[in-house]
Amino acid sequence: MTERQWKGTTYGNNWMHKWLVRLLRVVPLEVMYWFVAIIIMPVTYVVNPNRKYIYAFYRYRLSKGPLKATWLTYRNFCMFSQVVIDKFAIYAGRQFEFEIEGYEHYKRLATRPEGFVQLSAHIGNYEIAGFSLKAQKRINALVYYGEKESVMRSRGHVFEQMNIGMIPIGQGVDYVFEIASTLSRGEIVSMAADRALGNSAKSITVELFGKATRLPAGPFLIAAAQSIDVLMIDVMKVKPKKYKVYITPLQYDKTASRAERQRQLSLHYTNELERRVRQYPLQWYNYFDFWNDYTTYTPHANTD
Amino acid sequence: MEQLIDTLKSQIITTLNLEDMSIDDIDTDAPLFGEDGLGLDSIDILELIVLLERNYGIRLANPAEGKEVFKSIRTLAQYVEKNRKK
Repeated sequence: MTERQWKGTTYGNNWMHKWLVRLLRVVPLEVMYWFVAIIIMPVTYVVNPNRKYIYAFYRYRLSKGPLKATWLTYRNFCMFSQVVIDKFAIYAGRQFEFEIEGYEHYKRLATRPEGFVQLSAHIGNYEIAGFSLKAQKRINALVYYGEKESVMRSRGHVFEQMNIGMIPIGQGVDYVFEIASTLSRGEIVSMAADRALGNSAKSITVELFGKATRLPAGPFLIAAAQSIDVLMIDVMKVKPKKYKVYITPLQYDKTASRAERQRQLSLHYTNELERRVRQYPLQWYNYFDFWNDYTTYTPHANTD
Repeated sequence: MEQLIDTLKSQIITTLNLEDMSIDDIDTDAPLFGEDGLGLDSIDILELIVLLERNYGIRLANPAEGKEVFKSIRTLAQYVEKNRKK
């Protein structure tokens, strides 16, 4: 696979991030969106090699024609730039509107003494999920250790106000002990389940958009090994200043064997992920050869 | 203690599907992580944390002690002997 694991850092250097936050305190969001879409994105589209993976996603996983796939790829880049700008806008103190669907599932689990797991994916704007949920118990988000200092500092400052802690994932195993103790304290562990976790190469093969791909085993094992409740949380951008949060319980048979629990959980996760991406096709941000088929494009219709 | 060490080795082999290994192949004092010892990764450690809770009623509440506890089979056995609830 070309690049299964994200390098763990937001594009740009600390200086750029600081100025972006300062700029977002005074410049309207829409102005930033248009500036990026008209001035920066055409250049990015040409020079960024990741466009081929997104193009392949639209062309062959969603069965779009060549022109439509090209246009969707450009719009995908623009949409991604908007959610990155939104992330920094929150660091700059901007407010967004959140509409929450399925909040009752979150409240039910958050008022119980046991901990639970929140799974998300690299779609929409998963990082700001915590801002929308009034945390009745502490949320501990797994974040990549290699992230820029400016992002970590801004994130840490905003997260602490929202009762959100961070568990940095490095190359060691320390974060595993953090996860275990967090859950035993009855808190929430939040993580994206569509990227490799830490130094483990263990994966689960699932079918997504009609073709087999691999997901990391860790997020599913964390929940399934101890029969912990799981919520899938998707935060999708619906308007310039509005997000819709979808909270869905991922059910599985807690009396089944551990392998079966893990299988059921990953199946429900992929079903939910596919459903949400089909609903918001521009907000799929896995910029690598997710199906390992870039060099051997296989049309969706012929993959079964 | 020796019996507990063998039991732990056997449980680790089963839990991590190390079918081509026997308890004699596992060095009691070798590091669990890294290439010099068993070479376990983060997901393996997670499985062992669950094993401790399921088989011995031990919940790892302090992450700081985790690395010391999981240093080798011997340190793991010492921790289990001291903290086991079943």
